[in-house]
Amino acid sequence: MAATTEAPVALKKNYLTALKEALDEEMQRNKLMLCQGEDIGRLGGAFGVTDGLQAKYGVDRVVDMPISEAAIIGSAVGMALNGMTVMAEMQFIDFISCGFDQIVNMMATYHYRTAGEVNIPVVVRGPAGAYGGGALYHSQMNEAWFCNSPGLKVVCPSTPYDAKGMLKAALRDGNPVIFYEIKELYRKREIEEELPTDDYIVPLGKAAVRREGTDVTLVSYGQNVYHCLEAAAELEKQGISAEVIDLRSLVPLDEETIFASIAKTSRVIVVNEAPMTCGFAGEVVARITTKAFHLLDAPPSRVTRMDTPVPWVKPLELHVLPSVEKIVNEAVRLVRF
Amino acid sequence: MSAKSGSATAERAEQRQGSRRPSESLTREECLELFKQLYLARYFDIRLIKEKKRGRLRGTLYSSHNQEAILVGSLFGLQPTDWISPIHRDMPAFFLKDIRAGWDNDNRIGMTIEEVCCQVWGKVGSPGRARDNWSHIGSKAKKIIHSTSMLAGTIPAAAGVTYADRLQGGNCVALTYNGEGSTAQGIFHEAINYAAVHKLPVITIIENNQWAYGTPTDLESPLEDFADRAKGYGIPGLIADGQDVFDVYDKVMEAVNHAREGKGPAIVECKTFRAYGHGDHDDDRAQKYRPAEEVEKGRQRDPIAVCRKRLIELGHLTGDAATSFMAEGKGASEATNDDFPPEVVAYLNKGIEAAIASPLPAAEEGAMWVFKENN
Ligand SMILES: Cc1ncc(C[n+]2csc(CCOP(=O)(O)OP(=O)(O)O)c2C)c(N)n1
Repeated sequence: MAATTEAPVALKKNYLTALKEALDEEMQRNKLMLCQGEDIGRLGGAFGVTDGLQAKYGVDRVVDMPISEAAIIGSAVGMALNGMTVMAEMQFIDFISCGFDQIVNMMATYHYRTAGEVNIPVVVRGPAGAYGGGALYHSQMNEAWFCNSPGLKVVCPSTPYDAKGMLKAALRDGNPVIFYEIKELYRKREIEEELPTDDYIVPLGKAAVRREGTDVTLVSYGQNVYHCLEAAAELEKQGISAEVIDLRSLVPLDEETIFASIAKTSRVIVVNEAPMTCGFAGEVVARITTKAFHLLDAPPSRVTRMDTPVPWVKPLELHVLPSVEKIVNEAVRLVRF
Repeated sequence: MSAKSGSATAERAEQRQGSRRPSESLTREECLELFKQLYLARYFDIRLIKEKKRGRLRGTLYSSHNQEAILVGSLFGLQPTDWISPIHRDMPAFFLKDIRAGWDNDNRIGMTIEEVCCQVWGKVGSPGRARDNWSHIGSKAKKIIHSTSMLAGTIPAAAGVTYADRLQGGNCVALTYNGEGSTAQGIFHEAINYAAVHKLPVITIIENNQWAYGTPTDLESPLEDFADRAKGYGIPGLIADGQDVFDVYDKVMEAVNHAREGKGPAIVECKTFRAYGHGDHDDDRAQKYRPAEEVEKGRQRDPIAVCRKRLIELGHLTGDAATSFMAEGKGASEATNDDFPPEVVAYLNKGIEAAIASPLPAAEEGAMWVFKENN
């Protein structure tokens, strides 16, 4: 066969591969980094995020841990105290509750209580989110627990590019970071993209405008960003122009990007899949009403999960979660307000 | 990965072949040093009780009275590279660490008495700038894990510290201190199980003082000996007489040598008795839930008296030296400065003066150091 003269087709990468590359490159770069979690070594992780890393870096740096979230997180704190950077994987982010005390009392407060003597470069990451029939204990977005615990950074990328760049940024940040991955996005073909071949990071604390618009701002993160984009396409058919903001990072929060958008649209809906009561959407709305009230032509609004657990069966699940339809309806209501 | 055992460790292991107890190799000077350390811990406690009663201190004091032999005996065999993780009742451990270097030696590894006193008084001179109370301090430089209120909550950190150390070519051990009541916490199990799987050199000391706040041991666990918890992890569980500083030293050294040789964690239960209430806020109520006879019986074997007797037997204390400093058994209300070696009194006073001279932190500090600032 004749040799082709065309440039090689750049390979598009999925969200999961992006995360794996971030871990691989950071382990390569930082000899004092290790990964630990349940089944992450021999098996390569329940979802495959760490696949191949143990073969490359050895059993001492990619550690299969007992089923003890408290030990996974608590020992990582000790390792960090003694010079290391640790990625601690939660098999599902729901199980982070079993290590809750170690996170909020031990890890989050360390820098504060030592007046800056000690900092804890630990990233606790794991698959999160609903829409796949994971049911009550494999669907949660429990980010509000940690946003409410000062000393933790809390992030949630929605694209492969961000997944890689933000995981690298988190591992270099020097602070404890709770890193929400969206398991429904791990292998989603539609969102695959080319990644830079050079080292890059996506700084924590910067939101991204995913679509420009003039009538209403949809603020979201994670899986719901795609629901907002679909809703925006639907709204366009109805003559409504929606701007879509992907927060990417909840703590720290990029207020500027939100307020700049509201200055254009004067209407805002915050969309997330955690329950409404005391959820992060409420925090965003509170900041808007406190600091950007003068920019608004309608009350800021929320589309969130109902205040229920996430049920298993599909119609029930869709009923309680945010949907394109719910976002569209709320946007129409606000525009007519 | 196998832990490196240095030649010093191998030598020590060889010495033990003759099955001499480690304490039998201590020199006269070392024995007298141990004795003085018991006084130092006791005097610190008694002085703070007095200061607290006079209303000069904020917060709660958890007395280590009658439990000093556990701290002194366990710390005495450590190397400067080793880590410790004390809890609420172990306040003297923060400045007793590495006492072998001499308790008033500038090259000591533990915190200085000034730093510890600044913490107690809530002053800026404490390592954590007094952002949390009393025993909630630590020092990365001095290898003391910063304690929190969450009982048993720092054992996993101690395990992690040793893992990181081993990965970086070190040969440290970590001692954690825990009340027997705290062994009921899930995190206690999770941390030790993890350490056992990875053969991490973590030694869990259980200070069995027979009471967890207002609850006696038989309502905390069906076990008679808390050292038996070790069986569930396939690791050694040793029992020491917590009133006898030499026995504590022997058992902890046995565990330390085991751990340093790469054989993994161990539990050392030290049997003792809590002399006062759970904290100073509890002293009056403690009389309701603890019969006076039990308290009297529990306090009969004072660690200072036990040590003195042994030193006399060994011929290390003779004549006047054998009878001076009678603080043993005396509580905070009866003991006076004359009951303590003058250098011990002077040493602590130095710390207290520094604490009084140190300023309070500025109010704005309350909102600082939530995050490490980047660039
Ligand atoms: C997780 C947790 N639960 C409860 C407490 C409250 N508390 C502090 S000390 C204590 C009793 C501890 O008893 P023990 O472990 O036997 O230690 P001791 O005080 O007798 O030395 C309790 C219940 C706490 N600090 N942390």
